[in-house]
Amino acid sequence: MLLEIFDPKAPPRAIGIDLGTTHSLVAFVRDGRPEVVADCDGERLLPSVVHYDEHGQALVGRGARALAVEHPRETLVSVKRFMGRGADDAETRVRSPYTFAPQDAGGPNTVRFALRGKTVTPVEASAEILRTLKRLAEDEIRTVGGAVITVPAYFDDAQRQATKDAGRLAGLEVLRLLNEPTAAALAYGLDKKVNGTFAVYDLGGGTFDITVLVLDDGVFQVKATGGDSALGGDDFDRAIAEDLIGDLGLDATRAGEPAVVRALLDAARALKHGLTEHDEATVADPTGSGTSKELRYTRARLDARIAPLIARTGVACRRALRDAGLEAAELDGVILVGGSTRVPAVKRFVAEVFGREALADIDPDQVVALGAAVQADQLSGQGQNEVLLLDVLPLSLGIAVGGGVVDKVLPRNTTIPTTARGTYTTQEDKQTGFDIHVVQGERELAGDNRSLARFLLKGIPPMAAGLAKLEVTFAVDADGLLTVHAREATTGIEQVVEVKPSYGLDDETVERMLLEAIDHGEEDLAARRLAEERMEAHRLRSATKKAIDTDAHLLEAGEQVAIEGALAEVDAAAAGVDPTRIHAALDALDRASKPFAQRRMDRAIAQAIRGRAVDDVAANVTTPGPGSDSNGSEGSVPSEARH
Amino acid sequence: MDPFAILGVEPTFALDLKVVEKAHRDLSRALHPDKYGSAGASERQMALGKVIEVNEAARALKDPVRRAEALFARGGVPVGETEEPKPTPDFLMDILEQREALSDASDAKDRSAIAKLAASIRARMKTAEEALGSALVPSAAVESLRPQLPRLGELRYYRRFLDEVQIQIDRLDGVDSREA
Repeated sequence: MLLEIFDPKAPPRAIGIDLGTTHSLVAFVRDGRPEVVADCDGERLLPSVVHYDEHGQALVGRGARALAVEHPRETLVSVKRFMGRGADDAETRVRSPYTFAPQDAGGPNTVRFALRGKTVTPVEASAEILRTLKRLAEDEIRTVGGAVITVPAYFDDAQRQATKDAGRLAGLEVLRLLNEPTAAALAYGLDKKVNGTFAVYDLGGGTFDITVLVLDDGVFQVKATGGDSALGGDDFDRAIAEDLIGDLGLDATRAGEPAVVRALLDAARALKHGLTEHDEATVADPTGSGTSKELRYTRARLDARIAPLIARTGVACRRALRDAGLEAAELDGVILVGGSTRVPAVKRFVAEVFGREALADIDPDQVVALGAAVQADQLSGQGQNEVLLLDVLPLSLGIAVGGGVVDKVLPRNTTIPTTARGTYTTQEDKQTGFDIHVVQGERELAGDNRSLARFLLKGIPPMAAGLAKLEVTFAVDADGLLTVHAREATTGIEQVVEVKPSYGLDDETVERMLLEAIDHGEEDLAARRLAEERMEAHRLRSATKKAIDTDAHLLEAGEQVAIEGALAEVDAAAAGVDPTRIHAALDALDRASKPFAQRRMDRAIAQAIRGRAVDDVAANVTTPGPGSDSNGSEGSVPSEARH
Repeated sequence: MDPFAILGVEPTFALDLKVVEKAHRDLSRALHPDKYGSAGASERQMALGKVIEVNEAARALKDPVRRAEALFARGGVPVGETEEPKPTPDFLMDILEQREALSDASDAKDRSAIAKLAASIRARMKTAEEALGSALVPSAAVESLRPQLPRLGELRYYRRFLDEVQIQIDRLDGVDSREA
């Protein structure tokens, strides 16, 4: 056995986290292969359960799960289902053992659990899970250098933002929010070394995703995605639990007791697991109220009960295929992800929809975390940079205009990152403000979609109706997160736009929570900033050195001296303890190397285009017609001849 | 911004979409922000700007309407509502009737009628695309382009019709993005 010797200079390593509804996992790449971290008992799955004790201290994992029946209100299970949702969300009205705090007037619109005399948001509870995973990883790799956190592909903007906030709150540098099916495909693609078109069917504890993607020599390009962020194994459990309530003849009061709800949901889950292998399953009656001491459930009953739920996944599958412009028969394979794909009825249904048996040869519980670890490795610059993920926007983004009709600015399945602009005008004479309502979803009317943000563009000079030109620009980054800018184009007045998110926490609230979470306040914050700047210095330094080594011929006279001077100052600053000085040195290095970076990028573009031109010529020898200046952008590209 | 130039593909309407896909992938490989994770702020910004341009160009070229628009613009023929000739009353009347038929089929939950309407519009769209395909070639002169403008208008109507078909199918399937 190899002994790992503690090395204080061990470089920080990036981790991949699958923040699941039922379980969460953390993984990292060791010697070129991703592996899931096990805890001291050898367990790889951390139950996503958070228990708050009488002092308000959080306990996460199996210990918390064991306390769920005894303390149903204080033990949060499946908190992911509440991420990015408003206080009045439908999810708060289904059978659950929790007490919800009402919407705080003027406060952020978020679900809040009332427990132990305080309130806890889903973001805070998720941050507890992430903190536990971070500590688990630190036992293995000492220093965690950033994290990729997976999210359901069908998560909307508010749900993604909530996940990122939870990461920040847990003290993680979130390198990327990665879609779960894409992460799974990455793990599969690398392991099996396959090319082709695949569908990933991901049915977890609380969410369902279907993603159609093309694997082509290390590029994983998502063609279409769909799903339901409130459909999963938890709904199967609830369906069984409703039957058990009927079987036991429990009245509404008894069936509403938090401890009974939790115990019945647990019993339902145990029965469901039992029915994976057997036609009938029994568990002890946790309520002690039946005539028999046992609860009995058959697979036939389960199949009938969950058939409508599974049918909902079929609609999403067919739509994703249609969006991708494919027939099921054109797929090269179907990959199963998520614990709920172990249910035999689900397996049968998937085989029926896609006309083939699905692949499940990588553990469906671990495959997402493994993929996330690979992506984390790549993003932190440790990996071989051999793969590239091209993902899409899961739900259309639009602006609600007159009469509440949605103008789609970005359609679903647009490759991200991306930007798009919508142009609008005033409806009344001398209108000086413009109410902008940003929504996400496919429906025509704003009220039928998810509201993301509302804001008012003010200070428009008074003019006749229809004369003002309001440009609203949407930018979606690689995490799938949206930023909105608005300006009035005829006057050129650009307004700094205050976006008030419709759901979830605003930046201020997250900052405050972050400060509260740090025990020693200021001191720790400063130490953290220094550590971050040093990490950035380390990163930029090696990237710059590498660029100079490989592309010295692209440097202009005097440039190398200037860049090396800036590098020396970065080194000197990083040796000190002033984060502001490091930051300034990094800015200076950035400025000094910008023209060099520009030249390298232009060359990369020219090479990508030329490389393909060579392929094309080899494939079919054609003479380009006049004006088929296929290297249109080459004009701005410095040719190799300049050196 | 000329999407053909950005992707470095031959500026022609009858384009093999596989070529667009490949160009998109090759350029993404070179420019994606993931490749610049450890680069400096302005280099990251530059790469992001470029990759957004590339994504947008690929999206434009895969859409027949925007592909045609880009080719007219390249050939010096302005496009857009005010520049293009109005569709003929006969054409408008016909489209209106088709839309009414779609709305009736949707109300009657008649999937096969919807599919039939969609297929007929798709066939007409194909005819218009073929006409554009032989006209919008790299060597086309302005005077040969201009007479093709009504085809572009037709494409817009057909595409809007097919979008509406999708909406109606989604409605019948009970797909509902509303979760709040």
